[in-house]
Formats: sequence, C-alpha cells, structure tokens
Amino acid sequence: MTGPTSPSRTGTSSAKLSRHGRSKSTSAHCLLRCAAREESAASSPNNGARSPGEEEEKDGGVLFYVNRTGFPIEGVTWERMWSHVAVVHPEGQEMADRIRNAAYLPKHHVPSVPTFKPSMSVPDWLVSIQNYMKALQYNHTGTQFFEVKKSRPLSGLMETAREMIRESLPIKCLEAVILGIYLTNGLTSLERFPISFKTQFSGHCFHHVVLGVYCNGRYGSLGMSRRPDLMDKPLAHRTLGELVAEFESSYKRYQHTLKKVKIGLYVPHDPHVFQPIEWKHLVLNAARLGAQEMRKELEKHGRDMRMKFAAVTHTHTRTQRHTHRDTQRHTHKNTDRLWRNLCCSPKNVDQFI
Amino acid sequence: MEPACRKDKPKLNSTPTRGDRARQKSAQQEHKQRQRAEIYALNKVMTELEQQQFESFCKQMQSQGE
Repeated sequence: MTGPTSPSRTGTSSAKLSRHGRSKSTSAHCLLRCAAREESAASSPNNGARSPGEEEEKDGGVLFYVNRTGFPIEGVTWERMWSHVAVVHPEGQEMADRIRNAAYLPKHHVPSVPTFKPSMSVPDWLVSIQNYMKALQYNHTGTQFFEVKKSRPLSGLMETAREMIRESLPIKCLEAVILGIYLTNGLTSLERFPISFKTQFSGHCFHHVVLGVYCNGRYGSLGMSRRPDLMDKPLAHRTLGELVAEFESSYKRYQHTLKKVKIGLYVPHDPHVFQPIEWKHLVLNAARLGAQEMRKELEKHGRDMRMKFAAVTHTHTRTQRHTHRDTQRHTHKNTDRLWRNLCCSPKNVDQFI
Repeated sequence: MEPACRKDKPKLNSTPTRGDRARQKSAQQEHKQRQRAEIYALNKVMTELEQQQFESFCKQMQSQGE
C-alpha cells in the first residue's frame, strides 16, 4: 500500500490512467493504474513513506505500472519502470544507471517450487508455500510484473500463477493470492478464500488482500505484504472472526483503521473451472458494526461456507458416477453450475456502500 | 528462364532456419535472465529504501507521541 504522499509521477502524462480492467487495451504499453498500495505502515507527509495494505484503483493511491506484455518485458514497460524508480529513489538516475550499466549482476537464486509430500502436514505445506513466496520477494519496484484481473476465470488465473513460477520474479499481494491458490490446489482438506481489507490512514484509503485458509477447524492465511504481520497467519485461529481480528490488531500497530472487510467464497480446487473467484461474498463495514457484531457476522459466514462446501462435495460425488469422459465434462460444468447456484448476491451488512 | 540464370538467381529465403530460431531463443533467454538480475538488484535497493522510510516514519510518530 502506498501512502498518500508518495512521490507522484506528474511527468507521466503520456501514460494512460485506467481504473478498471485492461484486457482490451490495444496498446502494447503497460497502463498506469491508480492504486492504493501497500508500503510502509504509515506515510509521513513529506518523504513518501507508504502504508500497508494494497490492491488497486482506489483513493489515496499512488500510481503504479503493470506489465501486460509478458516476458521478456518489452521496451516501453521496462523504461517506464526505470523512470519511475529514478523519480522515487533519492539517488535518482544514478542509482538506476548503476544497476543497468553493471557489467555483472548477481544471479538471484530461482527458488524451488514446493512439492507436496504425503508425509507433510497441512501446516507444514502452508509454511513451505509461504517460504516460496517470500523467496520470490515482495515487489517494491513500482511495476507489477504479472497482470491479474480479478474477474478472469479461475483457469486463466491459474495460468498466470504458472507464469509467476516460470518467471520467478517479485510479487505483490494480489499475485500472492493467486499463487497461493495454485499451490494449494488439490489439497482438498484445505479450503481457500480471499480476504480483502480496506483501511484508512491519515484520511486516505488503502487496500490489501490475503488468502484465507481453513483446515480441520482452524483458520489461517497466506499472502505477501510489506509488513510481515499483514500476510501469513498460522492455522491456529478457531474462527474467521479471530483471524480478521488478528489482522485488525496488526493494522492498528501501523495506525490504520479497518474500514471494510470482504470475505470471498471457497475457491474450487479444480484449476480448470471457468468461473471467476468470488472475492466479496460478505462485505462488512467495520466502521459501522461493532467488534462483536463483526465477529458474529464473520463466524456466521464461516459456518455458511462450510455448509455450502459440504453441499457441493456431496453433489460432486454423485456426478463422479458418470463415465470418466462424461465426468471430465460434467465435473467442470457441474462445479461451475453448483458454485453459481450457491453464490447468492453479496451480502452487504449494514448498508455497505 | 535458362538454367544458368536460375542458378545465379539469389535465394529469397526469409524463413528463419532452425539455427536462427535456436539463436533467437537463446538470446531471448539471456535477455530475460539479465532483466531478472536487474529486477532483483533494483528490488533490493527499493526494499532498503522503503525500510528506511518506514523506520524514520516510526521514529517521527514516536517523538510526536512523546
């Protein structure tokens, strides 16, 4: 999450400012997006230190770039990345030139993709995944290297996750959620769901997202953030309310006030599902609800998700009685249909805007 | 056209050969590796900057609180 006073890029008039989706762009150039990004826990008025929590397209944000043209990164995007950091960094162009002109640069080790072994416990597997994401590092360059459109079908996002693994580059919070989903696919005892936060600091709003996980009666999370206590949480929280409260408490350390929490639905383990991730099935206005009311709603949502999952699992088992070929076709369609039917419109508690 | 002329006629072969493609791929790989090295070198610098800014901000907030 960038702070409200991060250096603005007023010299980027040639860049397009886009607030919504980018897939239709005919330009090979990356688009400039207004983003509420995650950086330092709080921003100071003058030096551009930034705040935690990060997503996109929101108020109080700082411009950041997104690479839309794959790899190797094409010229315009590449140059724009360097122009941006030259503005942001106190040493400016000198710093940029030092790296770009270096005859030799150390080769950053490509971390091994974690592989699940049957002997591993679920918590161990989550630690292994989180360590992998940490080894990729949080992306502080100001240019997001992987384009993630939240409205894309899950299957498309899984392709992006594979690209993240292939290219092995720093990532931010939204990318980490997609990667976390990909790496936990198939571990059917573990459920995954997005948790989005909107916080306020110094009159500005900031956004962040992590991947909530649930297994065997316990909640935890995976994710990436500038702040270590706003990403992974161990599978130790008895309720969803407890997990969210833990994040709220972490935010308070950085003087951020939690404004909204959005909880999504469980993400299907089938990586070929065509439907998009449900990001905000439950939206809670923390500013209007008391702490107890919030916990109650979260716990209810947790129970609802577990019941819905049980219903889908039962129906999915029935479809497996078809022939193998039919099951291939039916599984994807039926899974999609079942999830669509179970996904009612988002519940806005207390007149969420 | 007489056979002699046909022999002298230059080949208009714009299709890349297998060797060209392999060289292109190798060059692309090297380019990606160089970009990756620069990205991580840059990320190291920017991470340090962010950390410094965060620490100075925390100190500022602390002194204001006092």
